Amino acid sequence: MFGYVRPSLARLTEEERRQYNALYCGLCHLLGQRYGPACRMILNFDFTFLAALLSGPVSCRKKRCISSPLRGKPAAEPNGALETAADCSVLLTYYKLLDEVGDSSFPKRQGCRSAAAALRPAFRKAAALRPELDRHIRRQLQDLGELERQRCPELDKPADAFACLLQGIAEEAGDPVQRRVLSHLLYHLGRWIYLVDALDDRKKDAKTGNYNPILLRFSLKDGTLTEEARRRVVASLDGSIRQMAAAFELWDFGMWNPVIQATVYEGLYCVGSAVLEGTFHAGSRRKPSSGKKEQI
Amino acid sequence: MTDPYKILNIPSTASDEEVKKAYRALARKYHPDNYHNNPLADLAQEKMKEINEAYDTIQKQRAAERSGGSGAYAGAGSSYSGYSGSGYGSAGSSAFYQVRAAIQNNNLNLAENLLDNISTRNGEWYFLRGSIYYRRGWIDQAISCFETACQLSPGNPEYASALERAQSSGQAYRPEGYEVFTSDCGNNLCGRIACAYCLCNLCMGGGMIGFC
Repeated sequence: MFGYVRPSLARLTEEERRQYNALYCGLCHLLGQRYGPACRMILNFDFTFLAALLSGPVSCRKKRCISSPLRGKPAAEPNGALETAADCSVLLTYYKLLDEVGDSSFPKRQGCRSAAAALRPAFRKAAALRPELDRHIRRQLQDLGELERQRCPELDKPADAFACLLQGIAEEAGDPVQRRVLSHLLYHLGRWIYLVDALDDRKKDAKTGNYNPILLRFSLKDGTLTEEARRRVVASLDGSIRQMAAAFELWDFGMWNPVIQATVYEGLYCVGSAVLEGTFHAGSRRKPSSGKKEQI
Repeated sequence: MTDPYKILNIPSTASDEEVKKAYRALARKYHPDNYHNNPLADLAQEKMKEINEAYDTIQKQRAAERSGGSGAYAGAGSSYSGYSGSGYGSAGSSAFYQVRAAIQNNNLNLAENLLDNISTRNGEWYFLRGSIYYRRGWIDQAISCFETACQLSPGNPEYASALERAQSSGQAYRPEGYEVFTSDCGNNLCGRIACAYCLCNLCMGGGMIGFC
């Protein structure tokens, strides 16, 4: 989906990093098992974080894969949370690709079209496995699309549509307190992702004319933030991170506490800051020139 | 009752000083200020109650031990009461009071309807409007409303602190040692984290992340 949600690795012990890596690998293996090897390509940090939020304790087993064909690496064994995260990954990635077919330039449109076609069998399977989640995601994306068409000049309204989309995943939780905590956390996670993504795309969207709530909200011509715009966007981003942290403290996430803590008290601030300064892509393997349109 | 030491996350052999320190750290975490206008405030309040009770129990036990089992507990006096006073104190006109009560009960749709029927658009109106937005997580609109409230009623401390909170300029809880913000994240620190990810991507098959 996006790849913005990362723990600050410097805050994790070696063992905690190993667990986080194992969760990433476990999700990757599960995507392969459930949806075919090509689907492993859609994995990213955001879905790993989702798995950490939903997951209780997991056990690990060494498994071989392309990146470690001989020795193998520890990977989390599948459980309900990993399955939810995997299904969500497929649904969200597929809808995002469809959206991109709609408003990208020609060569990219072709790429997205074939990627969406490749993902279609997996999407059908995921939608059949989780019909309610699929309906929910589709409804929220429709609302979001409507706001985009109207070129809604607000931050909160379109962010709310995407926030509610992620919030719906909290329904998978069994315990009522856990559900409330997750619901609040996921709402603000979705809100933060949507806004940080808009912030990231501000320059590109200013050129292409694609919908971007930040450009419209502050009437920015070329994507350069005014002092006021910067202050307000930062207040919205930091406010949502604080809400996530406040929710996090009200539930025991067990072995995933350190990963979530390193994300909501530092990782998200750092990613937000890098996006604000325009240095985010330098730190990831994503090429800045890929011209990626990420608004779903 | 659950073991009070377990609630404070310390061994029963902890010194008085350690008990106090653990209690203060938890009290800071669940302090009403961190859950102001937050729909999860009731959960935080429960946590706070648990921590206060655990602390009081330990104090009582230790006081009794010190005085040979008979001594009455004089009260450590440092437990926070906090939550009762948080939120919407001043009453004002009864229509506004009803809106405050609805917000307090997390009934935001009712609060919104009641507010829409009030024609006086004064500082209080914008403050309450902002509070509803804030509870919903609509921080940008909340800030705009709080700003208007402060302009209409300059010097109102309640409106000013709501604005400060929404702008994230207030002090929120962070675990010790965490102090990065989006606006002022030190370059060297973020650089360090980015580098860590370069390495991490290599071993995690990060090449796949840039797909599509």
